[in-house]
Amino acid sequence: MTIVKDRKVFILLAILMVLTGCSEKGFTPINHHQSFVGAVNIVEPAVSFYDPSGDKIATWKFDKAYTGAVLIQKDQILMYGHELNEADLYQLSNGKKKATIETGVGATNAYYDEKNQLFFITNSANNTVTSYDLNGKKLNQTKLGNYPMSMASHDGKLYVVNYKDTVLSVLNMKTLEVEQEWEIDKSSNGIVVVPEKNSIWIGGHGEGSQPNQTVDIYDLHTGKNIGVLEAAFMPIGFAKSDHEVYIVNHGSNELVVTNLSGKVLWHIEVGANPFSVTYIRDQIVVAGYDDSKVYFIRNGKIEKEIETNKGPFQLLVREVGT
Amino acid sequence: MKKLSIKIWALILVFLFITIAFMYVFTDIIYEQLYVEHTKDSMVEVGENLQTMYIGGKVTDELVDKVDQYNLFSNYKVFAVRNPKELSACLPFEIDYDTLIGTDERKQLLQGDYITKIGYEKRFDRQVISVILPLTDQDRLEGILYLYYPLAKISELPKKEVVILISSVLLFAIVVGYFVRKGIQLLMKPLNELHEAVENMSRRNYETRVSVTSKDEIGKLSEAFNEMAAEIQREDEEQRTFLATVSHELRTPISYVKGYSEAIQNNFVEGKEKEEAMELIVREANRMERLTNEIFQLARSKNNIEDLELYPIVLAETVRDSVKLLEQQAENKKITLSVSLDENIIALANEEKLKQIFINVIENAIRYSMVGSKVNIMTKIMKEKAVIEIADNGIGIPSEDLPHITERFYRVNKARSRADGGSGLGLSIVDQLVTQHNGKLAIVSELGKGTIVTITIPCMEEI
Repeated sequence: MTIVKDRKVFILLAILMVLTGCSEKGFTPINHHQSFVGAVNIVEPAVSFYDPSGDKIATWKFDKAYTGAVLIQKDQILMYGHELNEADLYQLSNGKKKATIETGVGATNAYYDEKNQLFFITNSANNTVTSYDLNGKKLNQTKLGNYPMSMASHDGKLYVVNYKDTVLSVLNMKTLEVEQEWEIDKSSNGIVVVPEKNSIWIGGHGEGSQPNQTVDIYDLHTGKNIGVLEAAFMPIGFAKSDHEVYIVNHGSNELVVTNLSGKVLWHIEVGANPFSVTYIRDQIVVAGYDDSKVYFIRNGKIEKEIETNKGPFQLLVREVGT
Repeated sequence: MKKLSIKIWALILVFLFITIAFMYVFTDIIYEQLYVEHTKDSMVEVGENLQTMYIGGKVTDELVDKVDQYNLFSNYKVFAVRNPKELSACLPFEIDYDTLIGTDERKQLLQGDYITKIGYEKRFDRQVISVILPLTDQDRLEGILYLYYPLAKISELPKKEVVILISSVLLFAIVVGYFVRKGIQLLMKPLNELHEAVENMSRRNYETRVSVTSKDEIGKLSEAFNEMAAEIQREDEEQRTFLATVSHELRTPISYVKGYSEAIQNNFVEGKEKEEAMELIVREANRMERLTNEIFQLARSKNNIEDLELYPIVLAETVRDSVKLLEQQAENKKITLSVSLDENIIALANEEKLKQIFINVIENAIRYSMVGSKVNIMTKIMKEKAVIEIADNGIGIPSEDLPHITERFYRVNKARSRADGGSGLGLSIVDQLVTQHNGKLAIVSELGKGTIVTITIPCMEEI
């Protein structure tokens, strides 16, 4: 009698194990204490994680056509896709999907504001920006110009570049009310806020067949054009450290480093068709879309180039104190 | 109704135009296959040579200028492009611009491969052959060399050339059409002649003949027509002769009968003369009766050739019966009828008609034999057929008359024959009856020595 009972329990346990095994299947976990640079590849959808010295930690390969990602807090990444109906939230420390957020098709970009602990998703299908809390709960939605995409935030304000429009929208981050609309160039892409200089920098591809050759600098509060950075050829990727701004010119395969006032400090040819730049510790990291390589640059020199999955489009960075 | 010649001509013209159309399409394909391929290869070669001017790094103004200068000396248009926008560098971003190369082409160029295209290019608003070569440094697509050549379709030739082309095609078609028409007329000439001849024939001009100029189907047809016409003419003449003869043959006894009966009526003749006249009238009336009977028989048997019923009979008996009927006649001339018969022969025949054949032939033998001579009648089997031979030692038949002896009213000696009481139809009837028996009639004769008549008819096979 007891033997039969034991057997039943055993079978039940086995079934449970198989079931949980299936649902628990995830990606290689990324340790909480691990600083990394993540290359978001979109030709073969994957995120490749590298430690600050350029060694690979893990590759998360997806079978969904994700076109971008954003790091939320320190332990989650939100993967979204322009042709997908939903965005997925993954936890890095266990490699598992945590939540799915209905976005509808047309997601162009996602942005996380650390201070307010909110994330935003722009959508080109209905030309909106939507705010979510950390649980993925939809908070507000506002209609913007044509094709909202690049986003930045500062001091409770969200700045959204409307890619196929000539308008930059300034919104209240919490209510998503449009507070200001500034005039910018069409096909603008890439934005960085330099609060130290009270400025906001905007790049772009250029309209029509004309490649854009400037980074336009606007007053952070008024939107008044206060300067033009000429050393650019289709600049669309920006990153900022305490003293420097990093710009990638994808038209000239170039990394330009300026001080916060926009004075060019140095530049270097790097990658093939680079779309994204970031920095980690004392290194600048650039991803070449055409050559599928990630470059680590230190002291103005390419120190390491790493083959990554096809089509690195964005770079994520997480720095945790050791 | 259209003439056959026009139909043939139209058909040939249609085929001619189909051939021209086919040749046009075919030439076009060959043109594309060979000319376009050649152009493409040559463009790739030029492009690869120009490619060597690029030594890496940014595509310089100098290089762009050099490439531009090449245009002065080349058939192909060529330009260097370094604008990343044109090179689809912004993808995967959505772009509001129709770039020179697409995403897939960019991928291919990034791998260092060149691209060839044939088709409509919006940029140039026409069909072009284009060759695109990459200017790559490491993995960077710094620029491209774009070569293109307008793809001149044959239909895109300059107006003057199109006019020349179309007019030469038309002229060719007209000339060919003319000669084909002439050729057909030449071919159709004998047919037209035949057509006219047939119409002439139907108007009873039986002497119509056509000239045979070839040995082909039309030649054979003409020959056959001539033979047919000759046969119809012969038949027609025979008919006329026959009618003339019949009326002539009847006229003589009628005039006798008429003359003598009038003489009797008017009492011009009396006594013994009257009796002789009456006898003559009866004789001539008998002659007429016999003549009309024979003509009737001849006409009937000619119409009913297949109706004769044949059955096995004992040949010897039939011969004997016939001989018996003529014995008196022979005796009158003191002629001996010598009979030698094979009793075993069973012939396939119609008894009555066979008897008629024998009577006619034996009667002729008696008629043309000298008094006191001998007529031999013999039967035998030869080559599984029954053979009846009737031989006399009579006057014989001249060789020139022999082939005509079975023709109606043919007489070797007309005056004498009539006196002999023959109608000139006897052998004609015999010949026809033998034919109806599926047999053969052969006559051998030597003038002054005698005649041998041989009749061959089928006999029953021995069981």
